[in-house]
Amino acid sequence: MATADSRVRDPVVGGNSVGKTFAGGTVVALENASFDIEKGSFVSLVGPSGCGKSTLLRLIAGLIEPTSGSLQVHGSKVSAPRQDVAMMFQRATLLEWRTAIENVLLPTEIQRRVTADDRNRAMELLQLVGLGEFAFSFPAQLSGGMQQRVALARLLQTGADVLLMDEPFGALDEFTRERLNIELLRIVGEVGATTIFVTHNIAEAIFLADKVYVMTPRPGRLAQVIDVPLARPRELAVQTSPEFNRLVEDARETLGAL
Amino acid sequence: MSAPFGQLQWLRACYRALPHLGLFALLIAAWEVLVRTGVIASIMVPRPSSIGASIVELYFVKGTIWRHFFITLGEAVGGFLIGAAIAVALAIGSSLWEPFRRYVSPYAVVLNVTPGIALTPIIIAWFGFGMGSKMALAAIISFFPIFVNTLTGLTQPDTEREELFRSLGSSERQVFWMLRVPSALPLMFAGFKIGLTTALIGAVVAEFAQATEGVGVLMSRFSFQLNMGASIATLLSMTLIGLILFYSMEFLDDRTVFWRREERRAAASRNRARAWKRYAKLNSKSGSSI
Ligand SMILES: Nc1ncnc2c1ncn2[C@@H]1O[C@H](COP(=O)(O)OP(=O)(O)O)[C@@H](O)[C@H]1O
Ligand SMILES: [Mg+2]
Repeated sequence: MATADSRVRDPVVGGNSVGKTFAGGTVVALENASFDIEKGSFVSLVGPSGCGKSTLLRLIAGLIEPTSGSLQVHGSKVSAPRQDVAMMFQRATLLEWRTAIENVLLPTEIQRRVTADDRNRAMELLQLVGLGEFAFSFPAQLSGGMQQRVALARLLQTGADVLLMDEPFGALDEFTRERLNIELLRIVGEVGATTIFVTHNIAEAIFLADKVYVMTPRPGRLAQVIDVPLARPRELAVQTSPEFNRLVEDARETLGAL
Repeated sequence: MSAPFGQLQWLRACYRALPHLGLFALLIAAWEVLVRTGVIASIMVPRPSSIGASIVELYFVKGTIWRHFFITLGEAVGGFLIGAAIAVALAIGSSLWEPFRRYVSPYAVVLNVTPGIALTPIIIAWFGFGMGSKMALAAIISFFPIFVNTLTGLTQPDTEREELFRSLGSSERQVFWMLRVPSALPLMFAGFKIGLTTALIGAVVAEFAQATEGVGVLMSRFSFQLNMGASIATLLSMTLIGLILFYSMEFLDDRTVFWRREERRAAASRNRARAWKRYAKLNSKSGSSI
């Protein structure tokens, strides 16, 4: 099922031969990454740890600068963090002295004066992630899964239409993760965002995405692109279908042949 | 339903305190007996009953202690506030600006390893016999723990959350006020607690050295007169000052760094919910009137 990077109609995020080295060039974290990500699509980045997944996300977020090549979001070059791109991390990174709703409002507070509309929006987002009743709880009063939901609501509160998620549910147990993945698909579908989702779990990558980039380490490269033609909305049961398994095998082969 | 439950709690607390009170009474009684029977010379160690008599006289009948009590309390608190203000300011400067830290740190370390108490004669020569020298010494010896804790708190690495703030396009000022300061508060308060206790030591030592007022003066006066009962009764007032200072800071800590303890979190949670609703109501009203 491996396809060459098929031409994208409406690219929102693009990279031209992006490379990133650390430690004065001795560590090549990412090499020659070229890609175009279509508006409104869900893309997974999958690969073993150390293959440069986080590096690629941080480059797109404008947190670090590429050593070679360039990146564009909405047609303009990425040179610093920007308001149309937002990122979510493996740890919830909530502020313990703020309630759930205050954590959701953080992006707005950083950008400008908070209005009544912003507050209503934050409350809606908390309801969207199923935490309406916990708006005034502090992070320490919430489970790990609930904390990540708050982080997800905070991600959406930014209003960004490019969402970068770095193993967002990686620290959670299997059941919670599967449930959150289903909800994530529903939510990003609802807000119509373009999503780049990092994971080291092949099945998870395929289950979520329209397109999967398989990455290989030393040096980090985009080794293969897999189109996932599975119908949406997807149910967990899709994971037992022969088509799904063929896709998994495909990715596994690339990763096995390092 | 809650009243009988509360009463039960209270009874249980009394019940638990009982053995402690028993032991205390026993120790006091043994002490009294040992002094009365002459096993311990009463000129060295006063009888508990004579300490009790001194307490009644100093604290209640004549009330001589209170003037000195408030002077020492004021010296300790004043010295602490001065020391804390300087310590926090220098720690903030050091945390924001690396060269500043490099220049300040050696002095802070030297100040720390020099026994602050040894500065007493110099401080008294500079600031005189009054409250000024007591506050100065209290400030000097409470400085270091506050400086170190504040600096450590403000410079704790928190890469993930700093990256979050940066990805949201925050300014350095926002990172400082919205992330660093709240993260540093628990350690700062730990420093304040140590600093406040050492400030009291500074004030009292300076009083012992040279002063006209304060519980330290009172106590050395009684000791010279070999009035051991009154001397110990005065010592207890220092204990009382220490307790007041410690628990006041504990209270402030508990209210400021409210997110550490379940009850405080729950209370804060209720308050925030109420404030949110008040804001929403206010806003919908002004919205509809337009
Ligand atoms: N700030 C950094 N300094 C030095 N090396 C780094 C830095 N960030 C990442 N690396 C290196 O780059 C490679 C890719 O890292 P990363 O993008 O975090 O991988 P992944 O997220 O896929 O696990 C690793 O070898 C890692 O050690
Ligand atoms: Mg990573």
